[in-house]
Amino acid sequence: MALSGMRGLSVFISDVRNCQNKELERLRVDKELGNIRTRFKNEKGLTPYEKKKYVWKMLYIYMLGYDVDFGHMEAVSLISAPKYPEKQVGYIVTSSLLNENHDFLRLAINTVRNDIIGRNETFQCLALTLVGNIGGREFAESLAPDVQKLLISSSCRPLVRKKAALCLLRLYRKNPDVVNVDGWSDRMAQLLDERDMGVLTSSMSLFVALVSNNHEAYWSCLPKCVKVLERLARNQDVPQEYTYYGIPSPWLQVKTMRALQYFPTVEDPNTRRSLFEVLQRVLMGTDVVKNVNKNNASHAVLFEALALVMHLDAEKEMMSQCVALLGKFIAVREPNIRYLGLENMTRMLMVADVQDIIKRHQAQIITSLKDPDISIRRRALDLLYGMCDVSNAKDIVEELLQYLSTADFAMREELSLKAAILAEKFAPDLSWYVDVILQLIDKAGDFVSDDIWFRVVQFVTNNEDLQPYAAMKAREYLDKPAIHETMVKVSAYILGEYSHLLARRPGCSPKEIFSIIHEKLPTVSTSTIPILLSTYAKILMHTQPPDQDLQSQIWTIFSKYESCIDAEIQQRAVEYHALSMKGAALMDILAEMPKFPERQSSLIKKAEDSEADTAEQSAIKLRAQQQSSNALVVTDQRPANGTPPVSQLGLVKVPIMSNEKIIHGQDQSTGEQVVAHTNGALTIMDPQPPSTPSPDLLGDLLGPLAIEGNTGIAPQSDPNMGSGFEGGTNADALAIAPVEEQTNTVQPIGNIAERFQALCLKDSGVLYEDPYIQIGIKAEWRVHHGQLVLFLGNKNIAPLNSVQALILPPSHLKMELSLVPETIPPRAQVQCPLEVINLQPSRDVAVLDFSYKFGTHMVNVKLRLPAVLNKFFQPITVTAEEFFPQWRSLSGPPLKLQEVVRGVRPMLLAEMVALFNSLRLMVCPGLDPNANNLVASTTFYSESTRAMLCLIRIETDPADRTQLRMTVASGDPTLTYELKEFIKEQLVYIPVPSRSAAPMPPQVRPTSPPNAVLDPGALLAGLL
Amino acid sequence: MPVAASAIYFLNLRGDVLINRLYRDDVGGNMVDAFRVHIMQTKELGTCPVRQIGGCSFFYMRVSNVYIVIVVSSNANVACAFKFVVEAVSLFKSYFGGAFDEDAIRNNFVLIYELLDEIMDFGYPQNLSPEILKLYITQEGVRSPFSSKASDKPVPNATLQVTGAVGWRREGLVYKKNEVFLDIVESVNLLMSSKGSVLRCDVTGKVLMKCFLSGMPDLKLGLNDKIGLEKESQLKSRPTKSGKTIELDDVTFHQCVNLTRFNSEKTVSFVPPDGEFELMKYRITEGVNLPFRVLPTIKELGRTRMEVNVKVKSVFGAKMFALGVVVKIPVPKQTAKTSFQVTSGRAKYNPSIDCLVWKIKKFPGQTEPTLSAEIELISTMTEKKSWTRPPIQMEFQVPMFTASGLRVRFLKVWEKSGYNTVEWVRYITKAGSYEIRC
Repeated sequence: MALSGMRGLSVFISDVRNCQNKELERLRVDKELGNIRTRFKNEKGLTPYEKKKYVWKMLYIYMLGYDVDFGHMEAVSLISAPKYPEKQVGYIVTSSLLNENHDFLRLAINTVRNDIIGRNETFQCLALTLVGNIGGREFAESLAPDVQKLLISSSCRPLVRKKAALCLLRLYRKNPDVVNVDGWSDRMAQLLDERDMGVLTSSMSLFVALVSNNHEAYWSCLPKCVKVLERLARNQDVPQEYTYYGIPSPWLQVKTMRALQYFPTVEDPNTRRSLFEVLQRVLMGTDVVKNVNKNNASHAVLFEALALVMHLDAEKEMMSQCVALLGKFIAVREPNIRYLGLENMTRMLMVADVQDIIKRHQAQIITSLKDPDISIRRRALDLLYGMCDVSNAKDIVEELLQYLSTADFAMREELSLKAAILAEKFAPDLSWYVDVILQLIDKAGDFVSDDIWFRVVQFVTNNEDLQPYAAMKAREYLDKPAIHETMVKVSAYILGEYSHLLARRPGCSPKEIFSIIHEKLPTVSTSTIPILLSTYAKILMHTQPPDQDLQSQIWTIFSKYESCIDAEIQQRAVEYHALSMKGAALMDILAEMPKFPERQSSLIKKAEDSEADTAEQSAIKLRAQQQSSNALVVTDQRPANGTPPVSQLGLVKVPIMSNEKIIHGQDQSTGEQVVAHTNGALTIMDPQPPSTPSPDLLGDLLGPLAIEGNTGIAPQSDPNMGSGFEGGTNADALAIAPVEEQTNTVQPIGNIAERFQALCLKDSGVLYEDPYIQIGIKAEWRVHHGQLVLFLGNKNIAPLNSVQALILPPSHLKMELSLVPETIPPRAQVQCPLEVINLQPSRDVAVLDFSYKFGTHMVNVKLRLPAVLNKFFQPITVTAEEFFPQWRSLSGPPLKLQEVVRGVRPMLLAEMVALFNSLRLMVCPGLDPNANNLVASTTFYSESTRAMLCLIRIETDPADRTQLRMTVASGDPTLTYELKEFIKEQLVYIPVPSRSAAPMPPQVRPTSPPNAVLDPGALLAGLL
Repeated sequence: MPVAASAIYFLNLRGDVLINRLYRDDVGGNMVDAFRVHIMQTKELGTCPVRQIGGCSFFYMRVSNVYIVIVVSSNANVACAFKFVVEAVSLFKSYFGGAFDEDAIRNNFVLIYELLDEIMDFGYPQNLSPEILKLYITQEGVRSPFSSKASDKPVPNATLQVTGAVGWRREGLVYKKNEVFLDIVESVNLLMSSKGSVLRCDVTGKVLMKCFLSGMPDLKLGLNDKIGLEKESQLKSRPTKSGKTIELDDVTFHQCVNLTRFNSEKTVSFVPPDGEFELMKYRITEGVNLPFRVLPTIKELGRTRMEVNVKVKSVFGAKMFALGVVVKIPVPKQTAKTSFQVTSGRAKYNPSIDCLVWKIKKFPGQTEPTLSAEIELISTMTEKKSWTRPPIQMEFQVPMFTASGLRVRFLKVWEKSGYNTVEWVRYITKAGSYEIRC
């Protein structure tokens, strides 16, 4: 560079470099900037040379990090200088000082264009470089045609054309419209025929961008790409300067293969064959060598080729070749290469056929688990986890267990979780699974989360064959001198439940079991003590005939803990103590835990959560994508593994937990088996109910064990449920298809509609009653939340079976019903809490789809739930000062609506006031001067509107009580409309609260609903 | 007494440690790295002199091109720490002969280590008086006790000096000519609004003395301050003179001043240390005579031109004159070209501080020179940044003028031998931060 001629510039630079500290430098720079400003101001006296010199200085100062906010004009003006030195400075400084959004650039567009279309190649290059670096939309619009012309012109030198290609790429990224798809596919194909490697590489960059946007238009270029690859692979016609460490232009190879991946497939057999030939050559030709640069280049090509192979779903042979190559990689000493090998192998798992081939390298991968580099260990773990299936699960899990004791603390938790999941998924038999988990707890107790042992307990509980084995194992572990607390929990729980199955074996008498468990008591924390207490209670219960000695021992313990400071322990101690006093009755109360309902493994869920932040290509995720994991189906094999799925657990009808399947199941059960009718809302059902998805089982596990009456009222945890039901529209529509009344065998007692109306005004009462069951309801409302409790009372001396309750909520309500027990014991009442959240104002009503089986008959009723609009009101008294400004500010529709209502059931004003107040609309006397008018106010709560004040005015005509004029105002148009309609319904149809509470004789049946809207069928249809 | 320092560091502007001394082991030796990274290399340098990083507090100040950093990890007395630094710097200055900068430190490593050992012990400040330290820590070679030539100087008695009643003065001083120099140095701090109203104004003054007196003289100083005059008139039952009396705020004295006598008789009497010292410091907030008035008019003519007119009026006596007057008129950063017309002195544009600097070497009283300048600005990319118009700053020195009006009424010297003394009194007023908004 011609710096030698510019003394001032070099003096300045050396001054700045000689500055001792930042402050001096700043002073020097500020001085220079002042100087430059002065010089630029005397525009007349500035020669091009001087201008160039000062612009260089500016650039230098800018590069040092100081603000240079002037002089851009000078820099831009240099672009139009006739001579190269000035022009070059102009281009360089402009492209570093300005960015595409600067207005100054507009001034340059024309000059730049002149340079591009000019004949001087050097200037063309400068201009193209500038545009390629900072060109924006405006450049794209005005320059694209010229740049395209340069690119395809045959007279231009390659130097210019490759710059033009990159320039066009920039313009295309800024404005995709500049490249006309129709015209360009041919030209692109031509460009790919180019012999010059430089132009070809640049064009390929452009091509990748084009194809990534729209591959359809460029099908014709596909064979050309393959040709390019062929040429490179055969090393034909590749000049020396494009060969990098003996590899012909690795950049072009990678780009070409990247471009090919944007095409879905390669259809033409010839092309496909030659492409595979090339890939074969790449796979064959790549090896690990000493030279790092060569390795980098050849591996970049190789990995891109692998990606392409995977993309194209190549033949098995080629895949196996890939895996073999990767196998070579993971055996290499160099950690970077090993890492890449493992990572790519994990990626290969996505392709179906290679599992078996990868398995050949299992030993090598397991060695990598012991690598000093933690990132390699993690990759290896991921890969092992991903490649595990039934055939190798035993080995891998054993390996993981072995590794667990030496592994890094940072990895242990992940390791134990993965081992647990693999053991669960691929257990060849269940005793092995129990073995593995117990070993896991034994070896890495600190890193075993509670979920893991909960899972074992579920398995054991649900599999009777397993119980004695598990109990024996647990007993064995308890013999060890120092065991982890988690192990104490598991063993205590299992022995509590199943130790009686071992009773005949030596050392397993209840007394011995008790003493060995009790030994651990002083060493455990408070969270374990409740489990131990339950175990004692169970042991006591199983000891038949009762052993006085043991009993007194256990009672001593209970009474000791009755004063424990921990509430949970205290409660259990007190309750167990009291219960165990009952003697024989204990048997019933402390019965064996029922089987756990099926659900998605919380472990897998947890693994998915924890994986969210790690590598994208994590094997867990891939697995989750490929298979919908069915909980508790131990041998969940993919068809790829060749073996048909076998349910080894022997569990009854595994309920399907994945989201779509819920809907599907619902469809089937409701759609095919339900015979429903509308009027009485009763249905006879085929005696095969769909099983109810059940709530979180960890909750039940930790709760007091198996005490009857604890119906597992736990919050519903499955978020899929709601959406599942909402999705099942068709099914519901089918379910309420009207059927003749003759199918009814069970007549409801009382009028369901009237009971509903009464409950709209009250918070507790009977919702439904028939000879077998009575459903009561009790509600509490707080702002937009509601807490309902359904009381399901069995009136008979026989139990009601297959009890099922589903909530079909309208869109504006969010409802969550807790678990409804399947059986209601004779003469018993169960409570089912129901949470309601009001999202927005609406008059739609939620429906409870309730069914049970009595004898052989399925009874199904659909009941409207009294979670209606007025439940979300909060009466509020407003004074005149508050009322009138509000009333006035809400002017006109849609916020304020007025309607003349005719056909009102005549009533006195006082009655109307009472009605309004019972609807939680607070009548404010004295606000309206006319005594015949009513003014009421209330606050409405919902999630969308929050607290919203509603104002109502009713003008009655004393002469004609059947009509009135009603004005409703609120801050929300929907609310105003819904409220108006709601009041209208109430006025036109007046329920009789006093009568509805009394039971009606069964034969009195509602003749026809007084209002169409109140018809449950229509209602249901309406809300769907 | 709380700890003042756990460690002290002297850094140059780049952040290199020039010299350091750890006094307590409760801070690590590498704490200064934290200072370098978290304070020096950020923009917060200079905004707050006390910073806490990682459980350690850093007190720092800059003296010429050296940062002095004190690190403490306990609850320390910050004022004490800063006072210590100031005193230490003046001690070093008196040892190095005036200059305290990076070079001076580099040239005197051994001496500084010796002094740092002496002036602070386990984080507690010790004697920082140069007069005394110079007796023991000398820069001359040490004479061997076996040398044949007997020392002509008596070996100083350190304990007497430090523990005696008059710890700051040695006995047996003899001067041929007994002289006392007394300087009253005041600096005026002013902030004036663009409309000419005084927003903040005060004077900080100090009385500096230099004594060359034999024996143990007793001195008595009389000023025209209010309290002293009132007390005097009370004692002598004489009406107060009608002359102007000055009210002094926040008076602090050198340790030699007899405070009991000051409290009872309101007279400043003292036995002075030998050589130079600062007798008292004071502050005045009312009745300040401003030496200069500045009348600026700055007009922005469009985006690229400005006109600046500044008139400076000296309001002290016509016979007096100010020296070294510098008026710094801030201009926008994008100033390109300036042209001046001044009635006296010289003006130029200094781009590194973005100011027009107008210098007048000798500025007589009761005159009003003016500066008028035309400024051309260059257009910039970022037009939005409006200029904030920082205040005009002034520097000056006015000899024989006190902004407070303080005068020495008498300075009496009494000594057993009754020799005659010559007293020299000087007044000088300097600019502190003298700022006028425009």
